[in-house]
Amino acid sequence: MLAIRGLRKSFGGRVVLDGFDLSVEPGEFVALLGPNGSGKSTVLRCVVGLETPDGGSIEVGGNAAMVFQKIHLVGRRNALDNVCSGALGRLPSHRSLFFSADVREEAMRCLDRVGLADRALDRCARLSGGQQQRVAIARALCQRADVILADEPVSALDPQAAVQVMELLKALAGEGIAVVAVLHQPELAQTYAHRIVEMRAGVAA
Amino acid sequence: MTLTSPQESSVPRRRWPSPVVWIAVAVLLAVHVLAWQATEFSPAALIAGWDGMADFLAESLPPDFSVLGKSLEAAVITLYIGLLGTTFSIPFALALALLASRATTSAAWAQQAARAVLSFLRSVPDVVFALIFVTAVGLGPFAGVLALVFHNTGVMGKLWAEAMDESDRGPRDALKVTGASGPQIALHAVLPTVMPSLAGLLLYRLDVNVRSSLVLGLVGAGGIGFLINQSIKLFRFDEMVTHILVVLLLVVVVDQASGFVRKRLGA
Ligand SMILES: Nc1ncnc2c1ncn2[C@@H]1O[C@H](COP(=O)(O)OP(=O)(O)O)[C@@H](O)[C@H]1O
Ligand SMILES: [Mg+2]
Repeated sequence: MLAIRGLRKSFGGRVVLDGFDLSVEPGEFVALLGPNGSGKSTVLRCVVGLETPDGGSIEVGGNAAMVFQKIHLVGRRNALDNVCSGALGRLPSHRSLFFSADVREEAMRCLDRVGLADRALDRCARLSGGQQQRVAIARALCQRADVILADEPVSALDPQAAVQVMELLKALAGEGIAVVAVLHQPELAQTYAHRIVEMRAGVAA
Repeated sequence: MTLTSPQESSVPRRRWPSPVVWIAVAVLLAVHVLAWQATEFSPAALIAGWDGMADFLAESLPPDFSVLGKSLEAAVITLYIGLLGTTFSIPFALALALLASRATTSAAWAQQAARAVLSFLRSVPDVVFALIFVTAVGLGPFAGVLALVFHNTGVMGKLWAEAMDESDRGPRDALKVTGASGPQIALHAVLPTVMPSLAGLLLYRLDVNVRSSLVLGLVGAGGIGFLINQSIKLFRFDEMVTHILVVLLLVVVVDQASGFVRKRLGA
């Protein structure tokens, strides 16, 4: 589902990724651990096209979606609109001014999947951190993601909300999505991930 | 606690301003002296001319309130000029701001072109635009509206583009990952985020434009500025005072209303 081979990336002459390899099967939940600055975020950002790699290859069998530590929803819009925006990539320009009924229905199913259908019309800024992160995951589902890359999805959440989000990611992996999550707590990784990959100085250790 | 005395070399030496600073100060002083002379700045003349001002005040008081009705009518025209000048500049300012902001446009040439248009429109004063349009559409409020549309597009477009530039990069990145196009990102991430700031800046510009339309009236664009100009030409200073009181009222009302709405918007 996801195959990264020999990924290389430097920023201004400083080598950040030095031949990183990782493959993830459909339905597999991989935890990516490693010290700050070891290049974990850069790997994920390369996969979704937010950074351009200097070398190596990335194969994604389907749609790759990303979930961020800082969540990055549009706080002034409601949860449903935020989830709908996950569909933008497959909507032609003339159909993206207002979201049509079928997009809204699909988005409602995604919100329902993360347990937040009853908060659909609440502004995201009014939701708790854990709820916001689940809305962001619903947005990834509305993107019809086959791969979800989560960059420290629970680092900013309280322990209870963190467990909820981890349970959700694990369940989504159970439904066949390939999940890669950068985590800071090894206990969470051991509890939820099928496999742990340690990163050190731009390579899998 | 003991203080170890730092070594000589580790104490940074006091740095005196460089000669460049002294030269700059001298040049600045010289320019001010030249400006003083060129503008015939003279407190003595102000004191000597005090009588003239006293005469003027004597003539202008009491205000002639018989023109109040006419004055209020003209004030409403002035308000309308400011309003239409602001409203009709919205689509142009928005289009140019979207092109000029790096949050919404990635092509550097398009950004540069939009910024050039905005800065041109901004640097031509609205009074100059008014004088140009008076020659095209004649004396009257319409020329004033056109002048404000042009100048305000430049100012508001720049302010809006800056507000977009400052918007959080995160939601934009998040939509980029979903495969959204530039216009889709602008519509679904940038605009919803900056809308309160844009509305606040719009109200601020309305406030400024109503005051500008007074001055435009002085050069023939109708409204109460035009009446003030007329009463000066006819030496009817008592009428002029009535007009000026109405102007004060108009400015205070618009300022308060726009301030109130801006506070409600939280912008
Ligand atoms: N856009 C960028 N420009 C310059 N340096 C960057 C950029 N993004 C990341 N880096 C640098 O690359 C290194 C790895 O960063 P990152 O991938 O965020 O590490 P991690 O997520 O493992 O903490 C860091 O030293 C960081 O400063
Ligand atoms: Mg990181």
